[in-house]
Amino acid sequence: MRRVLAIARNTLREVARERVALVLAIFGLGIVVASQALSPLALGEGRKVVVDFGLAGSTLVSILLAIVLGSSLLHKEIERKTVYAILAKPVRREEFLAGKFLGLWAATAALLLGMTAILLAVVALSYGAAPWGVLGAVSLSLLELGIVTAIVVLFSAFTTPVLTAFFALAAAAAGHFAEDLLYFVGRGAPGVAKAATEGVYWILPHLELYNARALAVHNLPIGGERMAFALCYGLLYIGAVLALAGTIFRHREFR
Amino acid sequence: MSARVDRTLLAGLLAAALLLAAADVLEVSAKAKLKPAREEELLYYPSGMFVREAALGYETAAADIAWLRGIQYYGEHRLTDQKYDMIGHVMEIVTTLDPHFEQPYVFGAFVLAQELRQPERGLDLLERGFRANPDDWRFAFEIGFLHYVCRHDYPAAGRYFTLASRMPGHADYAERFAAFTHERAGNRDLAVLLWKRVLATGNPYMQDVARRELRILGAI
Repeated sequence: MRRVLAIARNTLREVARERVALVLAIFGLGIVVASQALSPLALGEGRKVVVDFGLAGSTLVSILLAIVLGSSLLHKEIERKTVYAILAKPVRREEFLAGKFLGLWAATAALLLGMTAILLAVVALSYGAAPWGVLGAVSLSLLELGIVTAIVVLFSAFTTPVLTAFFALAAAAAGHFAEDLLYFVGRGAPGVAKAATEGVYWILPHLELYNARALAVHNLPIGGERMAFALCYGLLYIGAVLALAGTIFRHREFR
Repeated sequence: MSARVDRTLLAGLLAAALLLAAADVLEVSAKAKLKPAREEELLYYPSGMFVREAALGYETAAADIAWLRGIQYYGEHRLTDQKYDMIGHVMEIVTTLDPHFEQPYVFGAFVLAQELRQPERGLDLLERGFRANPDDWRFAFEIGFLHYVCRHDYPAAGRYFTLASRMPGHADYAERFAAFTHERAGNRDLAVLLWKRVLATGNPYMQDVARRELRILGAI
């Protein structure tokens, strides 16, 4: 575990060097401008609009950053041949991957929390009360971020950065359609297509489970049961994806 | 060397600024022609269900964008031809994307009933909102309001005001209107009071309509 954490710390430092603080500054500025500009346009719904855009923007930005930064993270190590120096030490390839995953997840999670803090502060200053209800939705978004980060690490274990970004983006988008797949299958798909679609459904991450933004914006409860289920499902899914990534990476030959 | 770099930097910035200015000038000159196209664009807006799928989990933010576009549409037509044919469609999209967003139901129903003189469509929209938010007394109150001031169906208005006054979290005025409707159904003073309630909302467009109606009733 110590070795995994050391690699995670290193990855966190590497990601921090990519000027992610700039993203925070741009997001903060965007939220301040939006809160001032949208209020008069939204016919009394300015607060709701700013919270909505803030939540959607912060989640989307952190997921896109996880994909963009993560897709080249492993590739860079192989390109610079630093991976040989690390793997020559008593570090297993699975540990190396787990460290990369943890570092990237921690970095993007910190970014998401930073953007949430900015959102809470701007809404409190502009509209009088901080929308504390968003914290439940953000905690689910952190888990969604973990799942997407694990998928990025999986694809980066065997393919190029461009393909990694493409596949991860596709998986993240399809993850929100997973429930609809099952719905369409239930409406009379033929045998083979039904089995194939059901297979895809069980493989895809069920990301709609992590979308509680509408509830948060309207101050509706998310429910402890859903949170607990989302946590367990998320951790199991991340574990499964990392196990597969580790297996692939262990058998990968570096040239 | 440094002077050359500075010159190329300045030239680059100048070129970028000129191109941007040219694009803006082009947009300003083409605006008159583009406007009808923007109106037509609303005709081809897909259904709320489709947009919901396409929003990929960001449906409340998509609802806000559609809401802002709907207000813009209303504002533009209010200043020109006062035709609001697409407002029902836009509010249907907003409320499908975010079924708990109360304002689009209320505002959409208000415009349909008052500006388009289609109270039935307004009531349909509000009743859809009430089904999606069965614990929110404001929907019952707004349905009662439309029954009273647009359809002059006083028993229905009384029923909905009473329902609103029995729901948790209701405002005091819901009880007052429930009592007034039963006592003085069809009374002009009650219509005046109801329109005055609209003046207390934060929606300037609805306030304008309320002032117009109060003027018609001779109350201001």
